[in-house]
Order: sequence, then C-alpha cells, then structure tokens
Amino acid sequence: MSTLTSASNHSGQAESGANVMTFDADDAMVKKFILASLTFGLVGMLVGVILALQLAFWPANLDLPWTTFGRLRPLHTNAVIFAFTGNFIFAAIYYSLPRLTKTPMWNQTLSQIHFWGWQAIIVSAAITLPLGFTQTHEYAELIWPIDIAIALVWVVFAINFFGTIATRKVKHMYVAIWFYMSMVITITVLHIFNNLALPATLTRSYPIYSGMTDALVQWWYGHNAVGFLLTTPILGIMYYFLPKSVNRPVYSYRLSIIHFWALVFIYIWAGPHHLLYSGLPDWAQTVGSIFSIMLIAPSWGGMLNGLLTLRGAWDRLRTDPIVKFWAVAVSFYGMSTFEGPMMSLRSVNSLSHYTDWTIGHVHGGALGWVGMAAFACFYYIVPRVWKTTLHSLSLATAHFWLATVGIVLYIVAMWASGITQGLMWRAVDEGGQLQYANFMDTVLQLMPFYWIRLVGGLMYLSGLLVMLYNIGRTIQTSGSAVVAAPPAAFAK
Amino acid sequence: MNPLIEAAKDGLTQGWLMGGMTIVFLAFFVAWSLWAWAPFNRKSMEAAARMPLDDGFPARGDL
Ligand code: HEM
Ligand code: HEM
Repeated sequence: MSTLTSASNHSGQAESGANVMTFDADDAMVKKFILASLTFGLVGMLVGVILALQLAFWPANLDLPWTTFGRLRPLHTNAVIFAFTGNFIFAAIYYSLPRLTKTPMWNQTLSQIHFWGWQAIIVSAAITLPLGFTQTHEYAELIWPIDIAIALVWVVFAINFFGTIATRKVKHMYVAIWFYMSMVITITVLHIFNNLALPATLTRSYPIYSGMTDALVQWWYGHNAVGFLLTTPILGIMYYFLPKSVNRPVYSYRLSIIHFWALVFIYIWAGPHHLLYSGLPDWAQTVGSIFSIMLIAPSWGGMLNGLLTLRGAWDRLRTDPIVKFWAVAVSFYGMSTFEGPMMSLRSVNSLSHYTDWTIGHVHGGALGWVGMAAFACFYYIVPRVWKTTLHSLSLATAHFWLATVGIVLYIVAMWASGITQGLMWRAVDEGGQLQYANFMDTVLQLMPFYWIRLVGGLMYLSGLLVMLYNIGRTIQTSGSAVVAAPPAAFAK
Repeated sequence: MNPLIEAAKDGLTQGWLMGGMTIVFLAFFVAWSLWAWAPFNRKSMEAAARMPLDDGFPARGDL
C-alpha cells in the first residue's frame, strides 16, 4: 500500500497520459448505472406528476384498479428511491471508489450481477405494485420473494465493495468511503429485520412483529432508509464530487470526520419521531425527539462544510451549472435538516402530522437535496466516462432554473396546504365542536395548492427532459475528447 | 406494588439510562474532536483532504 504522502506527490495537476490510471471496466458499469438511473428517474417522476394530477383532479385515477392513486403511489416512491436514487448512488460509488482507492472494483462479475440483479428487482416492483401485491409497509411494500432477491443482490454488492476496500492501494480511507460504508452496512440490517415475515403464499406473507412493535420496527427502518439511502451516501458523494467540481479540497477534513461519526451515531435513534402521539411509550417518543434535535448539529456541520468548500468558487457560481446545482443541493439539505427536527417537536408535529407539510418536507429533501446532487454528478460524470464534452452549457443552466423554480413552487404549495389542513382540522367553535367536521371542507380548500404543486412538478420533470436531451447529445459525441484535452463542461 | 411507585421506579431507571448515554456520547464526541484537531494529526488531515484531487484523475478544468 502506498502511503498518503507518496500518493499526494503528484498534486492534482493534469498529469501526463502515462501516470493517469484508467478504470475502463468500472466506467462501463458507471455508464450503465447512469442510464438506468435516468430511465427510472423519468418513469418515477412522471408517476409523481400523475399522482399530483390525481390529487388535484380525481378523474385522472381513470377508474381502473391498476392506475388508482393507492397503487401508483408506492410505484412512485419505490421508483424514485430505489431505482433513480439507488442507481445514481451505485454509479457514483463505482466511479469514485476505484479512484479514491486506486484499485479497480474487486470483481467484475459481481459488478454485473449487481447491476442486472438490481434492474430485475426494479422491473418486478414495477409489475407487482400496480397489480396490487404489497406487504403494506411504507417503503417496504415489495412482497417477500422480491425482498429475498434484494437481500442477495445487496450482499453481492457488499462483497464487491468491501473486497475493493480490502485490496485498496491507498491506506487512508477518504471520508466519502466511510459514508458509503455506513449505507452498505445499515441498509443490510434494516432491510433484513424489517422484512422478517412468514410466507403464506407466493405473494402473501405475515410479518413476525405485531402491533406497536411492528410500527416501531417499521419506522426504525423507514427513518433510517431516509438516513442511509437519501442522506449518508449522498453526503459521501458530496465529499468526493463537490471538491472535484471546484478543484479545491474540502473546507475542513476534521469537520467531515466529526460530521460522519456524530451523524451515524445519532441518526439510528431518531425513528420514533414518526410515531409521536402513537401507542409507543412516551419515553421512547421523547428519545426520538431529543435525538432529532441533536441531529441539527452534525447535519449543519456537513452543510457548512459543503458551502464553505464552495465559497472559494463563488465566481464559478454564475457560470458553472455544476456549482449551481451543488449550491442549491447543499442549501436544501440544510433546510430539510432544520425543518425535520422542528417537525419532531411534539407541538409542531401535532399540527404537521398527516398533512401536506410532511409531503413538502419530503420533497424539499428529495427534489432539493437528492435530485440536485444527482444532476450535479451526472453533468460531472457523463463527459468524463464517455470521454467527450458536455453538449450544451446553456441547456444545463436552463435545467437548473426549471428545477429550482419547480421545487420552490412544490414545497411552498405544500407548506400552505399543510398548515391550512392542520389548522382547519383542529379548529373548534365556541361550543367545543369541530368547526370543519366534514372532511370535504378541508379538501376543497387545498385544490389551488394542488394545482400549484402540479405546475412545480411539471417544471421539475421538464428540467429532467432537458437534461436527458443534453446528455443524449453528449453521448453521441462519445470519444471525441481525450484526457488532458480542453476543460470538460467549459467547452461551449 | 403501588402503580405510582412502580412508574416512578421506571422513570428513575430511564433517567439514569439516558443520563448515562448522554455522558458516553459526549465523551466520544469530545475525544473524537480532540483527536481530529490534535496538532500531530495536522499533516495527515491536510493530505487526506486532498485525496479526491490527488487521485490521478484530472479535476475540473483539466479534462
Ligand atoms: C417531478 C417530481 C415529483 C413529483 C411531482 C412528486 C409528487 C409526489 C406526490 C403527488 C406524492 C404523494 C403525496 C401525497 O400522498 O399526498 C409523492 C410522494 C412521495 N414522493 Fe414524490 N414527487 C416527485 C419526485 C420525487 C423524488 C425525486 C423523490 C425521492 C428521491 C420523491 C419521494 C417521495 C416520497 C418518499 C413520497 C412519500 C411521502 C410520504 O409518504 O410522506 N418524489 N410525490
Ligand atoms: C435532521 C434531519 C431530519 C429530521 C430530524 C427529520 C424529521 C422528520 C419528521 C419529524 C418527519 C414527519 C414524521 C411524521 O409526522 O409522520 C419526517 C418525515 C419524512 N422525512 Fe424527514 N427529517 C430530516 C431530514 C430529512 C431528509 C434530508 C430527507 C430526504 C432526503 C427526509 C425525508 C423524509 C421522508 C421521506 C419523510 C416521510 C416519511 C413518511 O412516509 O411518513 N427527511 N422527517
């Protein structure tokens, strides 16, 4: 193993061709994962837009069982979380892990099994969910045979991942790798324990937990799925790709270490904030709330580390879409990790729970943080693995504005409708009777907000289409640039 | 036993548990921070921070 210092002898400058390592086999996997992420991102977000339309205009349910809101909603969440975000995370890991360890992925066959296995799982999800096969646990809807397939494919990935780390040629494991590792380990444990069930038929099973225990395990899973799929891997990705994008080291490496340990330490305990005012013992609810408040510190530490790394490149913010995407992604990370702890306070949760406020919070994190980080990475990685230059910088900038305005419309509409709902549900008249006892009273008030959310979602989706076109044109010119040719995204 | 006393006893145990956890967590946090900011770690921290840029791959503007 070469030591860190010897590794850092060549200091980040463009090197002569002979010194540049290539990972062509891994880059081929990166390409596949990116194309899969883009495809399923398109499908998942299209379904999101359809859901938004259904909520504003019920006939869009089409009066068919397969296209009703209840069946399409899990299709949306599974597609965007496991297919869009999942494939994006794998692409970023297959790209950055070999480069950080100076070691190709451990076993190319495992890489292939990982890729094709994961896509097969997604396809089976896309078939079973609209048909109505479900375990009815949120984000864990897939039926038991698919759950077993997920576990197997995940273990294949884990072996490949840890095999690479074990054979690495650089001793120090950069902080991004720690974040990736936390995902690989935690998701294994979460997935297995939340899906323990007794199969009755091929499509039906009974969970081994019941009642409150089931709810607690479910939200321990649900919360940490958010934590270890939508947060920590993306943070690892941030720690590699953001410094790369601005060509300067992370603002504080020390802070990143504290950020990592504090975050993973605290995250695991916060699940009960999804069960406030439930049958869960009070003290467990309190533990959930306390740990959620504590989460502000590491989360904002990470956000500041990202923003302060960007600080040295503010001049590029005006011209470089990748820097723009990162700036907005990190800001939305900061926003949702402030909003989340506030929603974990019992008094706030009594208003926000069951309302669109939660939906606004979710999409602040999902569209603002996860989505924007994904777009930043795609614009960074695509020209590099296809060895070319980005087709159009102005289209990327157009994408940025469509997405940003789309998010703002989406979440502002949801705040407004969420608070409206919450306040109307708790309003009582002088006699102590519910003022809006008829549920329709509240629903009708929300319609304008639902239409605004639809517009926001459509803008976000159009941005994605612009990116797909841009990336498609970029790939057409594949191979036109060699390493050490003119700046990638700056070419046009 | 009297349910109130029973509840108080549980509360006490939980109080100790949470207090203990707080102390353990805080100790880890302080120790980690001291380690991260320790002068002897300065060089290796700075080198580690440069790892993505030193991975032999052209960063922005170099490709
Ligand atoms: C064009 C983009 C999108 C649109 C229009 C959209 C729309 C929607 C709608 C209408 C719902 C149902 C809300 C309800 O039940 O009241 C929903 C739920 C959800 N969406 Fe999206 N979505 C989009 C993108 C995404 C992305 C990219 C992610 C994740 C990375 C995501 C994650 C979720 C989650 C986790 C839920 C369930 C929330 C909960 O149960 O609290 N969405 N989305
Ligand atoms: C410090 C960080 C965070 C805390 C403390 C937090 C807290 C919360 C709380 C209290 C809820 C509402 C629970 C309820 O009333 O049912 C919630 C829901 C949710 N949050 Fe967060 N949040 C944080 C960050 C994030 C981030 C960054 C994302 C996404 C990338 C996210 C995604 C979600 C999702 C998907 C739900 C909906 C769960 C459901 O289906 O009910 N959260 N969060």
